Amino acid sequence: MSQRDKAPEGEQQAMNGTEDPTNDEMLVETDVSDGLSASESSVGRDAETVISSDNINVWYGDDHALTDISMDIPENSVTAMIGPSGCGKSTFLRCINRMNDLIDVARVEGGLTLRGKNVYDDDVDPVALRRRVGMVFQKPNPFPKSIYENVVYGLKIQGIDADYDEVVEESLKRAALWDEVKDRLHESGLDLSGGQQQRLCIARAIATDPEVLLMDEPASALDPVATSQIEDLVEELAEDYTVVIVTHNMQQAARISDKTAVFLTGGELVEFNDTQKIFENPESQRVEDYITGKFG
Amino acid sequence: MSTDTESSYADGFGQVSRTAGTVFRYLLLGATMFGIVTLAVLLVYVANDAIRPLTADLGWHLTFFLTLVVPTAVVGGYLARRNVPALKLGGMVIGMLGVFLLFSGGVAIVFVDIVPPLTGLSYVVGLLVPAALTVVLTKYEQQIPFTLRVAATGAAFILSLVGVPGYFHSIPEIVRQLPVVPADWMILTLVLGGVAAVVVGQYVARIREDTTAGLAAGASALVLTGLAAVVGPTLGVDANAAAVVTSVAFVPTLAYAGGAAVTREQERIGLLLAAVVIGGSLVGAVAVDALGFAGPQSWVDWQFLTSAHSGTAENAGLYPAIGGSILLMATVAALSFPLGVGAAVYLEEYAPDNAFTRFIDVNISNLAGVPSVVYGLLGLGVFVTYLGQPTGTVLIGGATLALLILPIVIISSREAIRAVPSDMRQASYGMGATRWQTVKNVVLPEAFPGILTGTILALGRAIGETAPLIMIGAPNVLFSLPTELTSKVSAMPLQVYAWSSLFASEDFYTKAVPAGVVVLLAVLLAMNSIAIVLRNKFESEN
Repeated sequence: MSQRDKAPEGEQQAMNGTEDPTNDEMLVETDVSDGLSASESSVGRDAETVISSDNINVWYGDDHALTDISMDIPENSVTAMIGPSGCGKSTFLRCINRMNDLIDVARVEGGLTLRGKNVYDDDVDPVALRRRVGMVFQKPNPFPKSIYENVVYGLKIQGIDADYDEVVEESLKRAALWDEVKDRLHESGLDLSGGQQQRLCIARAIATDPEVLLMDEPASALDPVATSQIEDLVEELAEDYTVVIVTHNMQQAARISDKTAVFLTGGELVEFNDTQKIFENPESQRVEDYITGKFG
Repeated sequence: MSTDTESSYADGFGQVSRTAGTVFRYLLLGATMFGIVTLAVLLVYVANDAIRPLTADLGWHLTFFLTLVVPTAVVGGYLARRNVPALKLGGMVIGMLGVFLLFSGGVAIVFVDIVPPLTGLSYVVGLLVPAALTVVLTKYEQQIPFTLRVAATGAAFILSLVGVPGYFHSIPEIVRQLPVVPADWMILTLVLGGVAAVVVGQYVARIREDTTAGLAAGASALVLTGLAAVVGPTLGVDANAAAVVTSVAFVPTLAYAGGAAVTREQERIGLLLAAVVIGGSLVGAVAVDALGFAGPQSWVDWQFLTSAHSGTAENAGLYPAIGGSILLMATVAALSFPLGVGAAVYLEEYAPDNAFTRFIDVNISNLAGVPSVVYGLLGLGVFVTYLGQPTGTVLIGGATLALLILPIVIISSREAIRAVPSDMRQASYGMGATRWQTVKNVVLPEAFPGILTGTILALGRAIGETAPLIMIGAPNVLFSLPTELTSKVSAMPLQVYAWSSLFASEDFYTKAVPAGVVVLLAVLLAMNSIAIVLRNKFESEN
C-alpha cells in the first residue's frame, strides 16, 4: 500500500475519456487519477481471500434487500462498496459481522465465510464473531466516557489482559489522534470535534486488534479536512487489516480502494473488480452510467 | 383582474384579518392564568393560615426587611443585570442549603429516633464487610467464574447479616455486644460524616483533578462533623443533631460553594448572594432578639414538628406522621426502584416485539391511570386478607404505595432508556459486547439520571397519597414513631385528613390542617427540586 504514495504524477493519462466532465462528482479529476494509479500497484498481487460470500440474500420483512451477492475480499487491502442510497451496500457490510441479527425483521440466507468458516453456521456465536471484526459507523459514536475509557472499552468487555496505557497510546497513535489528545485522555470523548470523534472510534475498533475492519461511510458526516485525514488513515490501516469500506463518494473509493464493488438498485452486486478496472473500463453499461453520473 | 392587483400594490399589500387568532390567543392566556392564579391564591391562603406573618411586630418585619430583603434585592438585582450565571450559582447554593437542611431533619429522625445509632452502626459494619469482599472479587473478575462469584458474594452477605444461628453470631450482633461502644454522636460522626467525607472527597478530587486535594477535603469534612458534635452542646445544640446537620447539610453545601469559588472564576461573585441571604438572616435574627420584637405566631413551629397528635390544635404535632412518611418512602423506593427499573430494562432491551409485550405495554399505561383507592383495595386484599399480614404496617403501606407508583416508574424509566441513542448500543455490539455488557456499561449509565428523576417524581406522588393508607387500615392517630417495618404507620397526608375529618373543629381547621399542608408541600417541593436539578444537569450534558 505504501507504493501508493510513490505513484508518478503523470498518471493522469490513465483516465479514459468516458467520464462526463459536467458531473459534479467527477470534477476533482486529479484525485480520481491518484486513486487509479494507486490501485494499479496492487494489481497482480496474490492476496489470500479473507471474506467470501456465496449467494447471500437478505430480507427485511418482505423487502428483498440483497440478492445473490457473491464476492471474495482479499487480505490486507481496501475493498470499497459504492452505489446509490438503499442499494444494500451497508446491509452487506452488516452481514459480515452479523449486525443484522440485531434487527428483528432481518433474515439472511446463503453463506458468508470468514477465513473459511461460515459465520452463519449454528455453532458461530455472533458476539465472538464481532470480537474478530471491528466496525466503524457512519456517525461518530463514541461512548459518553473519557477518551481513555472509550479506547479500552473493547479490552474490558472482551476480558483481554493487557497494559491498558500502552494499548491506548498505541491505538491512538495508529488512529493519528494521539498528538491531539494525549494531554486530555481523561476528558469526555464527546468533547472532541466530529473528525476527532471518528478517529477515536477507529482507535476504539483497532484497540482489540481485529482481523477485519468494517467501515460504514466513515467520512460522510465529516468536513473535507477530516475526510482526508480518515482516508489517509484507511490507507495506512490496510497494511495490517483487511478493510471493507462503504462509501457514497466515488472519488473516495477511487482514491483509497484496491477493489471496488458496485451495488445498484434492487440489492444487486453489478460488478466487482479491481478499482482501476471499475473506473477505467467497467464491463457493465449500468456501472459505467453510474460512475459517469448518467444515473444514480 | 391583473390590472386591479397591480394598482392595489401601490397602496401596499393590504391586510389579512387576524381577529380570530387574537381572540383565540387571549382565550388561551386566560385559561393558563386562571389555573395558575387560582393555585397561587390557594397556596398563599394556606401558607398565610399556617405561618401567619401578620401576627409579627411591625419592627420584626422592618428589621428583616433591612437586614435581609434590601441587601438581597441589591445584590440580586446587580447580578441579574451583569452576570446571570453567577446569580444562578448563588441561588443554587441557597437552595441546596435549604433543601439539605430539610433532608438533614429527616435523616436525624431516622438515624437518631427510629434506628438507634448503635444499631445503625452495626448494620453499616455488617454490610461493609461483605461489600469489601465483593469489591475484591470484582478485581479478579476474569479469573473466577461468574456463578462462583455470585455464590460467594451472596454467602458473604447472608453470613455477615444473619450469621449461623447457634454457631456463629452475625456481624451486627457482634458489634452490638461489644463491651465498649462509642457514644451516639461519635457513631453519627463516623457513619454520616464518613459518607459525607467520601462524597465530598470524590467531588473535590474530580473538580480539582487532584487526589491529594480530595483526601484533604474528605478529612476536613470528617473533622468538621466531629467538631460540630463537640462544640454543639456548648451552644445549646444537641450533639447528635449537630453532627447530622453538619454532615448532611453544611458540609456538602460548603464543598459545592468552595468548589465553585475555586473553579468557576466568572461566576464566583454569585456566592456573595448566598452570603448576603445567610448573613442577613442571622443578623436579622440576632437583631430582633436584641430589640425584643416578637416574630409571627406561626403554627408551623418547632413544637408542631416535634410532637404527636393532641386533643387541642395548639398542642397537636406532626412528628410521628413525618417519621412514618419517611419510612414509607424508604420502603416504597426500595421496592419500586428495582422492580420498576428491572421491568423497564427488560421491556426496552430484551423483550421481543410480539403480541404479548404489546399487551403488557398497553396495560402498564392503563395501570398508571387506575385510581389510588383501587390500589388500596388491592393491597388490603393481597397483603392482609390473602397473606395474613397485620393491617396498617410500614411494610404493607410501603408495598401498596410501591404497587401504586410501579407503572409510573416503569414508564418513566423506559422513556429514559429509550432516549439513549441507538448509535451507542450499535457501537457496543459492534465491539463484540454481549447484551448484558451493553446494558450494564452503556445503556444504564446513560439512562440513570433520567431514571432517577422519574423515580423521584413518582415518589412525590406516593408521599401525597391518603386513600391507599386508609384502605389498608393505617391508624388515624399515632402517638409514637414507627420503629420497625411491622410497626403501625401514619403519614403526613393521612394525619392532615384525620384532623380535617375525625377531629373536625374550627381550631383544627384553621391551625393544624394548614400547618400540616405546608409541611407536606415543603417536603414535596424539596424532593421535586432534586429531580429538577438532576434533569437540568442531565439535559445540559447532552
